[in-house]
Amino acid sequence: MNLIREIWQSIVRRDPLSTDKGKSELVFHNVWLHIHPAKVKKENMRFKHTFYLGFITFFLFLILVTTGIALMFYYRPYPPQSYQDMKDLQFVVFLGPFLRSMHRWAAHGMVICVFLHMCRVFYTGSYKKPRQFNWVVGIMLLLLTLGLSFTGYLLPWDQLAYWAITVGTNIGSYAPIVGGKLRELLLGGHTVGEAALIRFYVLHVAILPSLVILLTIVHFWRVRKDGGLSKPVWKLKPRAPEQLVTIGATPQVAPMQTIPASKDKTYGLMEVVTGKPNFEIITPEEEEDAVFSYPYAFFREAITLMVTVTSVMAISLFFHAPLEEMANPAKTPNPAKAPWYFLGLQELVSHSALLGGVVAPALMVIALLAIPYFDRNPSRRPSDRKWAIGLFTAFVVVNLVLIIIGTFFRGPGWAFVPPWVHVVAGPE
Amino acid sequence: MNRRKFLSWGTAGMVALCSGVVVSLGAVIRFLVPDVFYEPPQSFKIGNPADFPYGPPTFLADEKIYVFRERDKGFSVASAVCTHLGCTVKFFTSDNRFHCPCHGSVFNENGSVEHGPAPRALNWFEVTETRDGQLRVDKNKTVPPNYRLMV
Repeated sequence: MNLIREIWQSIVRRDPLSTDKGKSELVFHNVWLHIHPAKVKKENMRFKHTFYLGFITFFLFLILVTTGIALMFYYRPYPPQSYQDMKDLQFVVFLGPFLRSMHRWAAHGMVICVFLHMCRVFYTGSYKKPRQFNWVVGIMLLLLTLGLSFTGYLLPWDQLAYWAITVGTNIGSYAPIVGGKLRELLLGGHTVGEAALIRFYVLHVAILPSLVILLTIVHFWRVRKDGGLSKPVWKLKPRAPEQLVTIGATPQVAPMQTIPASKDKTYGLMEVVTGKPNFEIITPEEEEDAVFSYPYAFFREAITLMVTVTSVMAISLFFHAPLEEMANPAKTPNPAKAPWYFLGLQELVSHSALLGGVVAPALMVIALLAIPYFDRNPSRRPSDRKWAIGLFTAFVVVNLVLIIIGTFFRGPGWAFVPPWVHVVAGPE
Repeated sequence: MNRRKFLSWGTAGMVALCSGVVVSLGAVIRFLVPDVFYEPPQSFKIGNPADFPYGPPTFLADEKIYVFRERDKGFSVASAVCTHLGCTVKFFTSDNRFHCPCHGSVFNENGSVEHGPAPRALNWFEVTETRDGQLRVDKNKTVPPNYRLMV
Protein backbone atom coordinates (compact mmCIF):
# COMPACT_ATOMS: atom_id res chain seq x y z
CA MET A 1 0.00 0.00 0.00
CA ASN A 2 2.84 2.31 0.85
CA LEU A 3 4.49 1.60 -2.48
CA ILE A 4 1.33 2.56 -4.36
CA ARG A 5 1.08 5.78 -2.39
CA GLU A 6 4.75 6.46 -3.08
CA ILE A 7 4.27 5.95 -6.81
CA TRP A 8 1.17 8.16 -6.82
CA GLN A 9 3.00 10.89 -4.94
CA SER A 10 5.92 10.69 -7.34
CA ILE A 11 3.51 11.44 -10.17
CA VAL A 12 1.29 14.00 -8.47
CA ARG A 13 3.56 16.25 -6.47
CA ARG A 14 1.07 18.79 -5.20
CA ASP A 15 -0.89 19.37 -2.03
CA PRO A 16 -4.45 18.02 -1.87
CA LEU A 17 -6.97 19.92 -3.99
CA SER A 18 -8.98 20.77 -0.91
CA THR A 19 -6.38 23.39 -0.07
CA ASP A 20 -5.78 26.68 -1.90
CA LYS A 21 -2.11 25.77 -2.20
CA GLY A 22 -3.06 22.49 -3.88
CA LYS A 23 -5.36 24.29 -6.29
CA SER A 24 -2.55 26.65 -7.27
CA GLU A 25 0.02 23.90 -7.55
CA LEU A 26 -2.27 21.86 -9.77
CA VAL A 27 -1.94 24.65 -12.34
CA PHE A 28 1.70 25.60 -12.14
CA HIS A 29 3.19 22.18 -11.43
CA ASN A 30 1.55 20.77 -14.55
CA VAL A 31 3.06 21.24 -17.97
CA TRP A 32 -0.33 21.06 -19.72
CA LEU A 33 -2.23 23.31 -17.35
CA HIS A 34 0.34 25.97 -16.59
CA ILE A 35 -0.72 28.09 -19.56
CA HIS A 36 -3.64 28.99 -17.27
CA PRO A 37 -3.30 31.45 -14.42
CA ALA A 38 -3.89 29.97 -10.98
CA LYS A 39 -6.82 32.34 -10.57
CA VAL A 40 -9.17 33.78 -13.15
CA LYS A 41 -11.60 36.68 -13.03
CA LYS A 42 -15.20 35.56 -12.74
CA GLU A 43 -16.38 38.05 -15.34
CA ASN A 44 -13.93 36.66 -17.91
CA MET A 45 -15.56 33.26 -17.66
CA ARG A 46 -18.98 34.62 -18.56
CA PHE A 47 -20.23 32.86 -21.69
CA LYS A 48 -21.57 36.03 -23.25
CA HIS A 49 -18.13 37.66 -23.11
CA THR A 50 -16.35 35.29 -25.52
CA PHE A 51 -18.92 32.57 -26.39
CA TYR A 52 -15.90 30.30 -25.75
CA LEU A 53 -15.16 30.52 -29.49
CA GLY A 54 -11.39 30.30 -29.11
CA PHE A 55 -11.72 27.12 -27.08
CA ILE A 56 -14.24 25.63 -29.49
CA THR A 57 -11.88 26.35 -32.40
CA PHE A 58 -8.98 24.73 -30.56
CA PHE A 59 -11.06 21.67 -29.68
CA LEU A 60 -12.20 21.34 -33.29
CA PHE A 61 -8.54 21.39 -34.28
CA LEU A 62 -7.89 18.55 -31.81
CA ILE A 63 -10.75 16.56 -33.37
CA LEU A 64 -9.26 17.22 -36.81
CA VAL A 65 -5.82 16.02 -35.77
CA THR A 66 -7.21 12.86 -34.18
CA THR A 67 -9.59 11.89 -36.97
CA GLY A 68 -7.05 12.98 -39.57
CA ILE A 69 -4.38 10.63 -38.21
CA ALA A 70 -6.97 7.84 -38.14
CA LEU A 71 -7.81 8.45 -41.82
CA MET A 72 -4.12 8.44 -42.75
CA PHE A 73 -3.98 4.72 -41.93
CA TYR A 74 -6.16 3.98 -44.94
CA TYR A 75 -5.22 6.68 -47.43
CA ARG A 76 -2.59 6.62 -50.19
CA PRO A 77 -1.92 10.00 -51.81
CA TYR A 78 -1.65 8.65 -55.34
CA PRO A 79 -4.36 8.69 -58.01
CA PRO A 80 -6.42 6.66 -58.72
CA GLN A 81 -5.71 4.66 -55.52
CA SER A 82 -6.68 7.71 -53.46
CA TYR A 83 -10.21 7.54 -54.75
CA GLN A 84 -10.38 3.78 -54.15
CA ASP A 85 -9.19 4.39 -50.59
CA MET A 86 -11.97 6.92 -50.16
CA LYS A 87 -14.45 4.30 -51.38
CA ASP A 88 -12.95 1.85 -48.90
CA LEU A 89 -13.30 4.38 -46.11
CA GLN A 90 -16.89 4.91 -47.20
CA PHE A 91 -17.98 1.28 -47.50
CA VAL A 92 -15.41 -1.15 -46.10
CA VAL A 93 -13.51 0.34 -43.17
CA PHE A 94 -15.16 -0.01 -39.75
CA LEU A 95 -16.25 3.48 -38.61
CA GLY A 96 -14.73 4.86 -41.84
CA PRO A 97 -17.69 7.02 -42.93
CA PHE A 98 -18.14 8.25 -39.37
CA LEU A 99 -14.50 9.35 -38.96
CA ARG A 100 -14.42 10.93 -42.40
CA SER A 101 -17.63 12.83 -41.70
CA MET A 102 -16.28 14.00 -38.34
CA HIS A 103 -13.15 15.24 -40.10
CA ARG A 104 -15.20 17.04 -42.74
CA TRP A 105 -17.73 18.69 -40.40
CA ALA A 106 -15.08 19.66 -37.85
CA ALA A 107 -13.16 21.33 -40.69
CA HIS A 108 -16.22 23.34 -41.73
CA GLY A 109 -16.88 24.13 -38.07
CA MET A 110 -13.32 25.32 -37.56
CA VAL A 111 -13.58 27.76 -40.47
CA ILE A 112 -16.84 29.13 -39.02
CA CYS A 113 -15.52 29.34 -35.44
CA VAL A 114 -12.22 30.99 -36.41
CA PHE A 115 -14.22 33.62 -38.27
CA LEU A 116 -16.70 34.16 -35.41
CA HIS A 117 -13.82 34.31 -32.92
CA MET A 118 -12.23 37.03 -35.04
CA CYS A 119 -15.53 38.95 -35.03
CA ARG A 120 -15.82 38.64 -31.24
CA VAL A 121 -12.28 39.93 -30.75
CA PHE A 122 -12.97 42.83 -33.08
CA TYR A 123 -16.30 43.86 -31.56
CA THR A 124 -14.87 43.83 -28.03
CA GLY A 125 -11.84 45.83 -29.20
CA SER A 126 -9.57 43.16 -27.78
CA TYR A 127 -6.92 43.66 -30.46
CA LYS A 128 -5.90 46.99 -28.96
CA LYS A 129 -2.66 47.69 -27.18
CA PRO A 130 -0.90 45.57 -25.95
CA ARG A 131 -2.58 42.81 -27.96
CA GLN A 132 -1.95 44.12 -31.49
CA PHE A 133 0.43 41.41 -32.58
CA ASN A 134 -1.74 38.63 -31.19
CA TRP A 135 -4.45 39.80 -33.59
CA VAL A 136 -1.93 39.42 -36.42
CA VAL A 137 -1.10 35.89 -35.21
CA GLY A 138 -4.84 35.19 -35.18
CA ILE A 139 -5.24 36.35 -38.79
CA MET A 140 -2.35 34.06 -39.77
CA LEU A 141 -4.15 31.20 -38.06
CA LEU A 142 -7.30 32.09 -40.02
CA LEU A 143 -5.32 31.94 -43.28
CA LEU A 144 -3.70 28.64 -42.25
CA THR A 145 -7.15 27.23 -41.45
CA LEU A 146 -8.31 28.15 -44.95
CA GLY A 147 -5.10 26.69 -46.40
CA LEU A 148 -5.62 23.43 -44.53
CA SER A 149 -9.16 23.29 -45.74
CA PHE A 150 -8.15 23.97 -49.33
CA THR A 151 -5.35 21.38 -49.39
CA GLY A 152 -7.61 18.82 -47.72
CA TYR A 153 -10.25 19.42 -50.35
CA LEU A 154 -8.17 17.78 -53.10
CA LEU A 155 -7.38 14.58 -51.22
CA PRO A 156 -10.60 12.58 -51.94
CA TRP A 157 -9.75 12.90 -55.66
CA ASP A 158 -13.38 13.11 -56.71
CA GLN A 159 -14.92 15.50 -59.22
CA LEU A 160 -15.65 18.07 -56.50
CA ALA A 161 -12.01 17.97 -55.36
CA TYR A 162 -10.46 18.06 -58.80
CA TRP A 163 -12.41 21.02 -60.14
CA ALA A 164 -12.38 23.07 -56.96
CA ILE A 165 -8.58 22.85 -56.95
CA THR A 166 -8.32 23.47 -60.70
CA VAL A 167 -10.37 26.65 -60.35
CA GLY A 168 -8.72 27.64 -57.05
CA THR A 169 -5.14 27.33 -58.27
CA ASN A 170 -5.98 29.08 -61.53
CA ILE A 171 -7.20 32.05 -59.49
CA GLY A 172 -3.71 32.26 -57.98
CA SER A 173 -2.08 32.25 -61.42
CA TYR A 174 -3.60 35.68 -62.12
CA ALA A 175 -1.18 37.24 -59.62
CA PRO A 176 1.15 39.47 -61.63
CA ILE A 177 4.59 38.12 -62.67
CA VAL A 178 4.93 35.25 -60.17
CA GLY A 179 1.37 33.88 -60.43
CA GLY A 180 1.96 31.25 -63.11
CA LYS A 181 5.22 30.06 -61.55
CA LEU A 182 3.63 29.92 -58.12
CA ARG A 183 0.85 27.69 -59.44
CA GLU A 184 3.37 25.41 -61.11
CA LEU A 185 5.34 25.18 -57.85
CA LEU A 186 2.20 24.38 -55.85
CA LEU A 187 0.97 21.77 -58.34
CA GLY A 188 4.39 20.40 -59.26
CA GLY A 189 3.15 20.44 -62.85
CA HIS A 190 0.97 22.28 -65.34
CA THR A 191 -2.32 20.68 -64.40
CA VAL A 192 -3.80 19.09 -61.29
CA GLY A 193 -2.30 15.60 -61.36
CA GLU A 194 -0.44 13.09 -59.24
CA ALA A 195 2.35 15.56 -58.44
CA ALA A 196 -0.24 18.04 -57.17
CA LEU A 197 -1.89 15.39 -54.98
CA ILE A 198 1.30 14.43 -53.13
CA ARG A 199 2.20 18.11 -52.66
CA PHE A 200 -1.21 18.95 -51.25
CA TYR A 201 -1.01 15.87 -49.03
CA VAL A 202 2.35 16.88 -47.53
CA LEU A 203 1.09 20.42 -46.96
CA HIS A 204 -2.12 19.10 -45.43
CA VAL A 205 -0.73 16.51 -43.02
CA ALA A 206 2.70 17.91 -42.15
CA ILE A 207 3.58 21.48 -42.97
CA LEU A 208 0.36 23.42 -42.35
CA PRO A 209 -0.62 21.58 -39.13
CA SER A 210 2.89 22.16 -37.74
CA LEU A 211 2.57 25.87 -38.48
CA VAL A 212 -0.87 25.95 -36.85
CA ILE A 213 0.51 24.27 -33.72
CA LEU A 214 3.48 26.67 -33.53
CA LEU A 215 1.30 29.75 -33.96
CA THR A 216 -1.34 28.46 -31.56
CA ILE A 217 1.31 28.17 -28.87
CA VAL A 218 2.35 31.78 -29.51
CA HIS A 219 -1.31 32.86 -29.59
CA PHE A 220 -2.11 31.27 -26.19
CA TRP A 221 1.16 32.38 -24.59
CA ARG A 222 0.49 35.98 -25.54
CA VAL A 223 -3.07 35.91 -24.21
CA ARG A 224 -1.65 34.74 -20.90
CA LYS A 225 1.21 37.29 -20.88
CA ASP A 226 -1.20 40.12 -21.67
CA GLY A 227 -3.04 39.35 -18.46
CA GLY A 228 -5.56 36.79 -19.67
CA LEU A 229 -8.72 37.61 -21.54
CA SER A 230 -9.57 41.23 -22.15
CA LYS A 231 -12.00 42.79 -19.76
CA PRO A 232 -15.65 42.42 -20.85
CA VAL A 233 -16.85 45.54 -22.62
CA TRP A 234 -19.70 46.04 -20.15
CA LYS A 235 -17.17 46.29 -17.29
CA LEU A 236 -15.26 49.15 -18.90
CA LYS A 237 -15.65 52.41 -17.04
CA PRO A 238 -15.42 55.79 -18.72
CA ARG A 239 -11.87 57.06 -18.61
CA ALA A 240 -11.21 58.88 -15.36
CA PRO A 241 -9.04 61.97 -15.52
CA GLU A 242 -5.49 60.96 -14.67
CA GLN A 243 -4.57 61.45 -11.04
CA LEU A 244 -1.14 62.90 -10.59
CA VAL A 245 1.12 62.33 -7.62
CA THR A 246 4.26 64.18 -6.86
CA ILE A 247 7.32 62.32 -5.71
CA GLY A 248 10.50 63.44 -4.06
CA ALA A 249 9.08 66.82 -3.07
CA THR A 250 9.20 68.73 0.17
CA PRO A 251 7.35 72.02 0.63
CA GLN A 252 10.59 73.92 0.25
CA VAL A 253 12.11 72.53 -2.99
CA ALA A 254 10.70 71.91 -6.44
CA PRO A 255 9.25 68.42 -7.02
CA MET A 256 11.55 65.90 -8.70
CA GLN A 257 8.88 64.47 -10.93
CA THR A 258 5.12 64.35 -11.37
CA ILE A 259 3.85 61.00 -12.61
CA PRO A 260 0.42 59.43 -13.16
CA ALA A 261 -0.89 57.61 -10.13
CA SER A 262 -1.03 53.90 -10.68
CA LYS A 263 -2.76 50.98 -9.06
CA ASP A 264 -1.04 48.58 -11.40
CA LYS A 265 -0.45 45.08 -10.24
CA THR A 266 3.10 44.06 -10.89
CA TYR A 267 4.89 40.75 -11.10
CA GLY A 268 7.37 39.56 -8.53
CA LEU A 269 10.23 39.97 -10.99
CA MET A 270 10.60 43.67 -10.25
CA GLU A 271 14.34 43.35 -9.87
CA VAL A 272 14.73 41.82 -13.30
CA VAL A 273 11.96 43.25 -15.43
CA THR A 274 11.85 47.01 -15.53
CA GLY A 275 9.02 49.21 -16.66
CA LYS A 276 5.32 49.00 -16.00
CA PRO A 277 3.59 45.77 -16.97
CA ASN A 278 1.48 46.49 -20.00
CA PHE A 279 -1.70 44.65 -19.11
CA GLU A 280 -4.93 46.04 -17.87
CA ILE A 281 -5.07 47.66 -14.48
CA ILE A 282 -6.58 45.44 -11.83
CA THR A 283 -8.15 47.19 -8.90
CA PRO A 284 -8.24 45.56 -5.46
CA GLU A 285 -12.01 45.03 -5.77
CA GLU A 286 -11.48 43.11 -8.98
CA GLU A 287 -8.74 41.10 -7.38
CA GLU A 288 -11.32 39.80 -4.95
CA ASP A 289 -13.54 38.93 -7.86
CA ALA A 290 -11.11 36.23 -9.00
CA VAL A 291 -11.58 32.53 -8.36
CA PHE A 292 -9.29 29.53 -8.63
CA SER A 293 -8.92 28.08 -12.12
CA TYR A 294 -9.55 24.72 -10.53
CA PRO A 295 -12.36 23.87 -10.63
CA TYR A 296 -14.18 26.88 -12.10
CA ALA A 297 -12.31 27.49 -15.40
CA PHE A 298 -11.37 23.85 -15.98
CA PHE A 299 -14.94 22.73 -15.49
CA ARG A 300 -16.15 25.17 -18.15
CA GLU A 301 -13.40 24.08 -20.54
CA ALA A 302 -14.23 20.43 -20.02
CA ILE A 303 -17.92 21.11 -20.71
CA THR A 304 -16.98 23.07 -23.85
CA LEU A 305 -14.81 20.18 -25.04
CA MET A 306 -17.56 17.66 -24.44
CA VAL A 307 -20.22 19.78 -26.15
CA THR A 308 -17.92 20.34 -29.15
CA VAL A 309 -17.04 16.65 -29.52
CA THR A 310 -20.63 15.43 -29.04
CA SER A 311 -21.97 17.99 -31.51
CA VAL A 312 -19.52 16.94 -34.21
CA MET A 313 -20.28 13.27 -33.48
CA ALA A 314 -24.03 13.84 -33.59
CA ILE A 315 -23.84 15.72 -36.89
CA SER A 316 -21.60 13.00 -38.35
CA LEU A 317 -24.10 10.32 -37.36
CA PHE A 318 -26.86 11.93 -39.38
CA PHE A 319 -25.02 13.65 -42.22
CA HIS A 320 -22.29 11.96 -44.21
CA ALA A 321 -19.47 13.75 -45.97
CA PRO A 322 -20.18 13.70 -49.72
CA LEU A 323 -18.10 11.74 -52.20
CA GLU A 324 -18.70 12.30 -55.89
CA GLU A 325 -17.53 10.21 -58.81
CA MET A 326 -13.81 9.92 -59.51
CA ALA A 327 -11.96 12.98 -60.77
CA ASN A 328 -12.34 13.27 -64.54
CA PRO A 329 -10.20 16.00 -66.11
CA ALA A 330 -12.23 15.80 -69.32
CA LYS A 331 -15.60 16.52 -67.75
CA THR A 332 -16.21 19.72 -65.85
CA PRO A 333 -19.31 19.52 -63.65
CA ASN A 334 -21.80 22.29 -64.24
CA PRO A 335 -21.72 24.42 -62.18
CA ALA A 336 -18.24 23.73 -60.79
CA LYS A 337 -18.11 25.20 -57.31
CA ALA A 338 -15.28 25.73 -54.84
CA PRO A 339 -15.77 24.92 -51.11
CA TRP A 340 -18.48 27.17 -49.65
CA TYR A 341 -16.11 29.52 -47.81
CA PHE A 342 -14.37 30.24 -51.12
CA LEU A 343 -17.63 30.81 -53.00
CA GLY A 344 -17.54 34.51 -52.16
CA LEU A 345 -14.15 34.55 -53.84
CA GLN A 346 -15.49 32.55 -56.79
CA GLU A 347 -18.38 35.00 -57.10
CA LEU A 348 -15.87 37.88 -57.30
CA VAL A 349 -13.80 35.87 -59.79
CA SER A 350 -16.83 35.40 -62.02
CA HIS A 351 -16.75 39.16 -62.56
CA SER A 352 -13.00 39.66 -62.88
CA ALA A 353 -10.28 37.13 -62.19
CA LEU A 354 -7.50 39.63 -61.49
CA LEU A 355 -9.54 42.15 -59.49
CA GLY A 356 -11.78 39.65 -57.75
CA GLY A 357 -9.38 36.75 -57.39
CA VAL A 358 -6.13 38.50 -56.51
CA VAL A 359 -6.50 42.22 -55.77
CA ALA A 360 -9.64 42.12 -53.59
CA PRO A 361 -8.58 39.19 -51.36
CA ALA A 362 -5.04 40.56 -51.03
CA LEU A 363 -6.44 43.93 -49.93
CA MET A 364 -8.81 42.18 -47.50
CA VAL A 365 -5.96 40.26 -45.85
CA ILE A 366 -3.75 43.36 -45.66
CA ALA A 367 -6.63 45.36 -44.16
CA LEU A 368 -7.29 42.67 -41.54
CA LEU A 369 -3.59 42.48 -40.62
CA ALA A 370 -3.35 46.27 -40.37
CA ILE A 371 -6.43 46.81 -38.17
CA PRO A 372 -4.63 47.02 -34.79
CA TYR A 373 -2.02 49.44 -36.16
CA PHE A 374 -4.44 51.51 -38.20
CA ASP A 375 -7.06 51.90 -35.48
CA ARG A 376 -5.40 54.45 -33.15
CA ASN A 377 -8.48 54.93 -30.98
CA PRO A 378 -7.51 53.66 -27.51
CA SER A 379 -11.08 53.19 -26.30
CA ARG A 380 -12.65 49.75 -26.30
CA ARG A 381 -16.16 51.01 -25.56
CA PRO A 382 -18.51 50.37 -28.53
CA SER A 383 -19.98 53.88 -28.24
CA ASP A 384 -16.52 55.34 -28.94
CA ARG A 385 -15.89 53.07 -31.92
CA LYS A 386 -18.86 53.64 -34.21
CA TRP A 387 -16.78 53.99 -37.38
CA ALA A 388 -14.61 50.95 -36.72
CA ILE A 389 -17.62 48.78 -35.88
CA GLY A 390 -19.54 50.05 -38.92
CA LEU A 391 -16.67 49.32 -41.31
CA PHE A 392 -16.01 45.86 -39.91
CA THR A 393 -19.70 44.99 -39.98
CA ALA A 394 -19.81 46.06 -43.64
CA PHE A 395 -16.83 43.77 -44.31
CA VAL A 396 -18.58 40.83 -42.63
CA VAL A 397 -21.89 41.47 -44.40
CA VAL A 398 -20.28 41.81 -47.85
CA ASN A 399 -18.44 38.51 -47.34
CA LEU A 400 -21.57 36.72 -46.15
CA VAL A 401 -23.69 38.09 -49.01
CA LEU A 402 -21.10 37.02 -51.60
CA ILE A 403 -20.90 33.53 -50.08
CA ILE A 404 -24.71 33.23 -49.99
CA ILE A 405 -25.00 34.33 -53.63
CA GLY A 406 -22.26 31.92 -54.70
CA THR A 407 -23.77 29.04 -52.72
CA PHE A 408 -27.48 29.34 -53.32
CA PHE A 409 -28.02 31.67 -56.27
CA ARG A 410 -25.63 30.32 -58.88
CA GLY A 411 -26.68 27.57 -61.25
CA PRO A 412 -25.25 25.98 -64.40
CA GLY A 413 -22.91 28.27 -66.30
CA TRP A 414 -22.77 30.42 -63.15
CA ALA A 415 -26.11 31.96 -64.21
CA PHE A 416 -28.15 33.70 -61.53
CA VAL A 417 -30.74 31.20 -60.35
CA PRO A 418 -33.02 31.50 -57.32
CA PRO A 419 -32.44 28.61 -54.89
CA TRP A 420 -36.04 27.39 -55.13
CA VAL A 421 -35.81 26.82 -58.90
CA HIS A 422 -34.43 23.45 -59.90
CA VAL A 423 -32.40 23.75 -63.08
CA VAL A 424 -31.25 20.88 -65.25
CA ALA A 425 -27.87 21.59 -66.85
CA GLY A 426 -27.89 23.48 -70.16
CA PRO A 427 -28.66 22.37 -73.74
CA GLU A 428 -26.88 19.28 -74.95
CA MET B 1 42.83 38.72 -30.97
CA ASN B 2 42.52 42.47 -31.20
CA ARG B 3 39.35 44.44 -31.86
CA ARG B 4 40.10 45.04 -35.57
CA LYS B 5 40.67 41.36 -36.16
CA PHE B 6 37.57 40.40 -34.18
CA LEU B 7 35.37 42.79 -36.17
CA SER B 8 36.69 41.74 -39.56
CA TRP B 9 36.37 38.04 -38.79
CA GLY B 10 32.96 38.69 -37.25
CA THR B 11 31.77 40.58 -40.35
CA ALA B 12 33.12 37.87 -42.63
CA GLY B 13 31.37 35.27 -40.50
CA MET B 14 28.03 37.12 -40.61
CA VAL B 15 28.30 37.54 -44.39
CA ALA B 16 29.09 33.84 -44.76
CA LEU B 17 26.17 32.88 -42.50
CA CYS B 18 23.69 35.14 -44.34
CA SER B 19 24.79 33.94 -47.77
CA GLY B 20 24.55 30.36 -46.52
CA VAL B 21 20.96 30.98 -45.43
CA VAL B 22 20.07 32.64 -48.76
CA VAL B 23 21.68 29.85 -50.78
CA SER B 24 19.89 27.20 -48.68
CA LEU B 25 16.55 28.93 -49.19
CA GLY B 26 17.22 29.07 -52.92
CA ALA B 27 18.13 25.39 -52.87
CA VAL B 28 14.90 24.51 -51.05
CA ILE B 29 12.81 26.38 -53.62
CA ARG B 30 14.78 24.87 -56.48
CA PHE B 31 14.29 21.42 -54.91
CA LEU B 32 10.52 21.93 -55.13
CA VAL B 33 10.63 22.73 -58.87
CA PRO B 34 10.29 19.41 -60.71
CA ASP B 35 12.87 18.68 -63.41
CA VAL B 36 10.69 16.09 -65.08
CA PHE B 37 6.95 16.41 -65.50
CA TYR B 38 5.22 13.05 -65.60
CA GLU B 39 2.41 14.50 -67.62
CA PRO B 40 0.89 13.68 -71.00
CA PRO B 41 3.13 14.96 -73.84
CA GLN B 42 2.26 18.35 -75.31
CA SER B 43 2.76 17.09 -78.86
CA PHE B 44 0.85 13.97 -79.91
CA LYS B 45 -0.79 12.12 -82.78
CA ILE B 46 -4.58 12.10 -82.86
CA GLY B 47 -5.23 9.60 -85.66
CA ASN B 48 -5.98 9.48 -89.35
CA PRO B 49 -7.75 12.37 -91.10
CA ALA B 50 -10.49 9.97 -92.15
CA ASP B 51 -11.36 9.39 -88.46
CA PHE B 52 -12.80 12.85 -88.20
CA PRO B 53 -16.23 13.71 -89.61
CA TYR B 54 -17.21 16.94 -91.29
CA GLY B 55 -19.58 19.23 -89.42
CA PRO B 56 -19.60 19.51 -85.63
CA PRO B 57 -16.13 19.33 -84.05
CA THR B 58 -14.83 16.15 -82.43
CA PHE B 59 -13.99 16.43 -78.73
CA LEU B 60 -10.90 14.53 -77.54
CA ALA B 61 -11.36 14.30 -73.78
CA ASP B 62 -7.89 13.23 -72.70
CA GLU B 63 -6.17 15.87 -74.79
CA LYS B 64 -8.81 18.53 -74.05
CA ILE B 65 -9.05 19.67 -77.67
CA TYR B 66 -11.75 20.15 -80.29
CA VAL B 67 -10.89 19.00 -83.83
CA PHE B 68 -12.74 20.89 -86.56
CA ARG B 69 -12.91 19.54 -90.09
CA GLU B 70 -14.42 21.70 -92.79
CA ARG B 71 -15.05 20.77 -96.41
CA ASP B 72 -12.64 22.51 -98.83
CA LYS B 73 -10.80 24.15 -95.92
CA GLY B 74 -9.33 21.40 -93.82
CA PHE B 75 -8.43 20.80 -90.17
CA SER B 76 -8.11 23.15 -87.24
CA VAL B 77 -7.71 22.35 -83.53
CA ALA B 78 -9.06 24.46 -80.66
CA SER B 79 -8.15 24.18 -76.99
CA ALA B 80 -11.03 23.13 -74.73
CA VAL B 81 -9.44 24.83 -71.72
CA CYS B 82 -11.23 28.02 -70.71
CA THR B 83 -8.83 30.95 -70.54
CA HIS B 84 -10.52 32.20 -67.37
CA LEU B 85 -9.82 29.51 -64.78
CA GLY B 86 -9.07 26.35 -66.68
CA CYS B 87 -12.44 24.58 -66.76
CA THR B 88 -13.21 22.47 -69.81
CA VAL B 89 -15.50 24.29 -72.26
CA LYS B 90 -18.22 22.48 -74.16
CA PHE B 91 -19.23 23.10 -77.79
CA PHE B 92 -22.97 23.30 -78.35
CA THR B 93 -24.18 22.68 -81.88
CA SER B 94 -27.44 24.41 -81.00
CA ASP B 95 -25.79 27.84 -81.05
CA ASN B 96 -22.33 26.99 -82.48
CA ARG B 97 -20.62 28.30 -79.38
CA PHE B 98 -18.29 27.11 -76.61
CA HIS B 99 -19.79 27.43 -73.12
CA CYS B 100 -17.74 27.29 -69.94
CA PRO B 101 -19.62 25.64 -67.04
CA CYS B 102 -17.67 27.32 -64.26
CA HIS B 103 -18.24 31.03 -64.67
CA GLY B 104 -20.40 31.27 -67.77
CA SER B 105 -17.90 32.45 -70.39
CA VAL B 106 -19.10 32.01 -73.98
CA PHE B 107 -16.77 31.78 -77.00
CA ASN B 108 -17.86 31.85 -80.63
CA GLU B 109 -16.74 29.27 -83.18
CA ASN B 110 -13.55 31.27 -83.83
CA GLY B 111 -12.78 31.06 -80.12
CA SER B 112 -13.31 34.78 -79.46
CA VAL B 113 -14.90 35.79 -76.17
CA GLU B 114 -18.54 36.75 -76.60
CA HIS B 115 -19.64 36.88 -73.01
CA GLY B 116 -18.40 36.34 -69.47
CA PRO B 117 -15.20 36.88 -67.50
CA ALA B 118 -12.71 35.10 -69.81
CA PRO B 119 -9.84 37.51 -70.55
CA ARG B 120 -8.63 35.95 -73.84
CA ALA B 121 -9.88 33.95 -76.80
CA LEU B 122 -9.47 30.16 -76.79
CA ASN B 123 -6.12 28.92 -78.05
CA TRP B 124 -5.78 27.27 -81.46
CA PHE B 125 -3.02 24.69 -81.83
CA GLU B 126 -0.87 23.81 -84.79
CA VAL B 127 -1.96 20.63 -86.54
CA THR B 128 0.33 18.93 -89.06
CA GLU B 129 0.40 15.70 -91.06
CA THR B 130 3.04 13.17 -90.13
CA ARG B 131 4.85 10.94 -92.58
CA ASP B 132 2.58 7.99 -91.79
CA GLY B 133 -0.45 10.08 -92.75
CA GLN B 134 -1.66 10.78 -89.22
CA LEU B 135 -2.52 14.15 -87.73
CA ARG B 136 -0.19 15.62 -85.09
CA VAL B 137 -1.19 18.36 -82.69
CA ASP B 138 1.43 20.47 -80.91
CA LYS B 139 0.06 22.29 -77.86
CA ASN B 140 3.28 24.25 -77.53
CA LYS B 141 2.57 26.03 -80.84
CA THR B 142 -0.46 28.30 -80.93
CA VAL B 143 -1.72 29.55 -84.28
CA PRO B 144 -4.28 32.16 -85.40
CA PRO B 145 -7.89 30.90 -85.62
CA ASN B 146 -7.83 31.02 -89.43
CA TYR B 147 -5.02 28.42 -89.58
CA ARG B 148 -6.09 25.34 -91.56
CA LEU B 149 -4.40 22.10 -92.58
CA MET B 150 -5.51 20.77 -95.96
CA VAL B 151 -5.04 17.05 -96.27
